[in-house]
Amino acid sequence: MKVEATYYGDRKVFSVSAFNEGIGIYLRRLPGLWVEGEVTELRRNDAWAFVFFTLKDPDGAACLRATMPRRRFDALELGLTEGERVHVEGKAEIYAAKGELSFRAVTIERIGLGDHLAAIERLKRVLAAEGLFAVERKRPLPRFPRAVGVVTGADAAARGDVVTGIRTRYPAARIVVAETRVQGVGAGPRIADALGRVAAHPAVDVVIVARGGGSFEDLLPFSDEIVVRAFASCPVPVVSAVGHEQDTPLCDLAADVRASTPTAAARLVVPDLIELKTGLGRLRELLDDSVGRVLARDRERLDRSHGRLRAAPVLLLERRRVALDHAAARLQALSPRATLIRGYAIVRAGGTALRSATATAPGGRLEIELASGGLTVTVDEVLP
Amino acid sequence: MSSSDSERTFEELRDELEEIVGKLERGDVAVDEAIQLWQRGEELHRRCAALLEAAEGRIEELSAGPDDNVAPDL
Repeated sequence: MKVEATYYGDRKVFSVSAFNEGIGIYLRRLPGLWVEGEVTELRRNDAWAFVFFTLKDPDGAACLRATMPRRRFDALELGLTEGERVHVEGKAEIYAAKGELSFRAVTIERIGLGDHLAAIERLKRVLAAEGLFAVERKRPLPRFPRAVGVVTGADAAARGDVVTGIRTRYPAARIVVAETRVQGVGAGPRIADALGRVAAHPAVDVVIVARGGGSFEDLLPFSDEIVVRAFASCPVPVVSAVGHEQDTPLCDLAADVRASTPTAAARLVVPDLIELKTGLGRLRELLDDSVGRVLARDRERLDRSHGRLRAAPVLLLERRRVALDHAAARLQALSPRATLIRGYAIVRAGGTALRSATATAPGGRLEIELASGGLTVTVDEVLP
Repeated sequence: MSSSDSERTFEELRDELEEIVGKLERGDVAVDEAIQLWQRGEELHRRCAALLEAAEGRIEELSAGPDDNVAPDL
């Protein structure tokens, strides 16, 4: 088939329809191939010869219009719903009247469990190689977050579990919730966006991403690259509480902490009020005890000083008394009485100490003083 | 010193209380200072306890993103 052109001198010019037709011819020569994407905007009408839908990358980065003959589509009996990931075989075509590119599908296959698992495994290897899951990247959770961010589906159970869990342990907690679509079409980018918005809240110090249990397909968005990267690049620590214990969506690997349930996640992010109160009570006891000890120590020191103060005069007197006794003893030693004790006697005549025998005469009366008592004697003879 | 206390977190207030207890336990403070520390400690304890007894926290809902047409079903 030849596309007609008009010549203006040397210039070869095509009409729009001729151009579109030419592109169509070129496209038809290309071999058929498989495209993987999420089905969106699926429109089927019994009156139409074709079924229309759009294929989209999971991160929403690109989309492709697609058509399929309705009879062929019906014969597949896929029961496709929005957001399902499929492999579509076909080739590109152009709708000549509008110049729009679309994909003419000859068959559609819903991606099987095995395909999903393989895709997740591939992504896991790539992200692991980038170091997104490295243990060194894991951050500790704050002990006293100013506010806890919660990203959850409009799914009352998970949200309720998280909020109740937080409230039970720590009633005063401030919670910032972002609800988002967590499954189906476009869930991945929305989860990533919600996480970003919550983490950007100025008071949020930690985020819980909570999603109750669901089928493998329901949890698929949590293995989307955009979600896993959002977890890894979140400016505050993220706790992943997605699905049940046995599910391991890739976001679990990129999270700072993985919790088995939304309730367990709540327990991780806020302190326990009872424990806090007990700790605070203990601190107060210690405060009173320690200040009591300081005061007691000082009182004791004071008492000791006081005791010494009161003892001081007595001590002084005692010392004086000892000194006095000492002096008395010395005085005693000098006293004539001490001489008498040693056996000497004092002889007086008329009250005057007698120093010479000639100071008296026979028949004279003398008084003798002894250590103990005295004598009055008469002189018999004087020996000069 | 207590004017800014109202802006401090429970953790910060409790850390200061612990510090005061530690200082008093070492015992190398004069009586005047000990009494002052104790008074400060009591104040910190009162504030901490008040924070723990505080009324229920609140829940803020972030509005949905521009292209998020999910209606909250709660």
